[in-house]
Amino acid sequence: MALEGRLVLLREERREDQAVFARLRNDLETQGWNVALPPSYTEAMHIKRFEAMEFSYDRDSARFSVERKETGELAGFITYSDLEPRLGATIGIAIAKPFWGTGVAFDAQEVLLRFLFLELGLRVVHLWSHSGNPRAIALAEKAGFSVSGRIREGMYKNGELLDTVVMSLLREAYFVQHTEFEDRLPDPFPGG
Amino acid sequence: MSEERFETTRTILRGLEAADAERLQTYLNAPTMIGRRYVPWRIPDVAPLSSSRVEGILEAWSKEKKGFAVGIELRETGELVGHAECNWHWDTHCPGIGIAIAPDHQRRGIGFEVASRLIAHLFENTPAHNVSGWAASWNEAGLAFAKRLGFAESGRIPRSGIRDGAYVDAVMVDMLKPEWAAAREGADGT
Repeated sequence: MALEGRLVLLREERREDQAVFARLRNDLETQGWNVALPPSYTEAMHIKRFEAMEFSYDRDSARFSVERKETGELAGFITYSDLEPRLGATIGIAIAKPFWGTGVAFDAQEVLLRFLFLELGLRVVHLWSHSGNPRAIALAEKAGFSVSGRIREGMYKNGELLDTVVMSLLREAYFVQHTEFEDRLPDPFPGG
Repeated sequence: MSEERFETTRTILRGLEAADAERLQTYLNAPTMIGRRYVPWRIPDVAPLSSSRVEGILEAWSKEKKGFAVGIELRETGELVGHAECNWHWDTHCPGIGIAIAPDHQRRGIGFEVASRLIAHLFENTPAHNVSGWAASWNEAGLAFAKRLGFAESGRIPRSGIRDGAYVDAVMVDMLKPEWAAAREGADGT
């Protein structure tokens, strides 16, 4: 069964995706980093990173290419990292500008959340953003995330001092939003 | 960084050596240190640490490229009574700090002395604008300690761990440089 949503497929990344990933990394609005990265990443660098990945059954992170189903276009990527098995993980997303406002980002986030909650059985999912990115915060809130913490003025970006923002989505809040699923995984610490 | 910057009234903050491993292992394995060891990411925070694990901690600290760890040595006796860590993994603009004092030396103000010194170091000798830290939600003493130092609670990351039959939140605390400077001016009466 593929990781498939209404609009997108989340699939393994491929060598030919790396040119798009380099472009995402070189756009200050999509590079998704705490500190601005120099927009000088090359496709060759990304290919090198891609080819250095090794097989393992024991991975605490993954990156998926986000492919638009209708056209087969590569829209960006979505990740999870810092996986604490059966407990939590942190997600991140980068979508190319032509796909902003098309529902692709939300759909990709929903597909990944379904994997994290229904396959990996996580109790919570986190993401990091900043107060200067209302689009990302709204996207997360739409999926049920709420702000759980801040590092005040922890970022300086585009000439602005911004708060680093942590957002979290509890498992039970996810299932409240998704009545089409039933949570059959017992909570080891109910009420906690 | 001049050497005297890494001293306080009662302590010397020095590099950790392989010879510290045994003492480090002893206090990290004390039951009351569980969940507040402040050791590198992915080192078990609960299970007893073997000597090779402790060597791994020392090695990780020695390889730290975006931060440093120091041992806290009592001037009077030369005893290692804890360690502290500062890092700027994301950005030198917002470094983090963590400190652990061996149980038999807690509640004597040593941690306060050392943390104050390191916070001053970060604000006076690095580009830090915000210094942050965290403590587990059950760690009331740690949170009170952070508050005494001038940190403000800035959030609670839910389900960051599990302890005694319940999920544990990571309570985030932070302090802005103007807040630190104002508190210091107040303390100096200037």
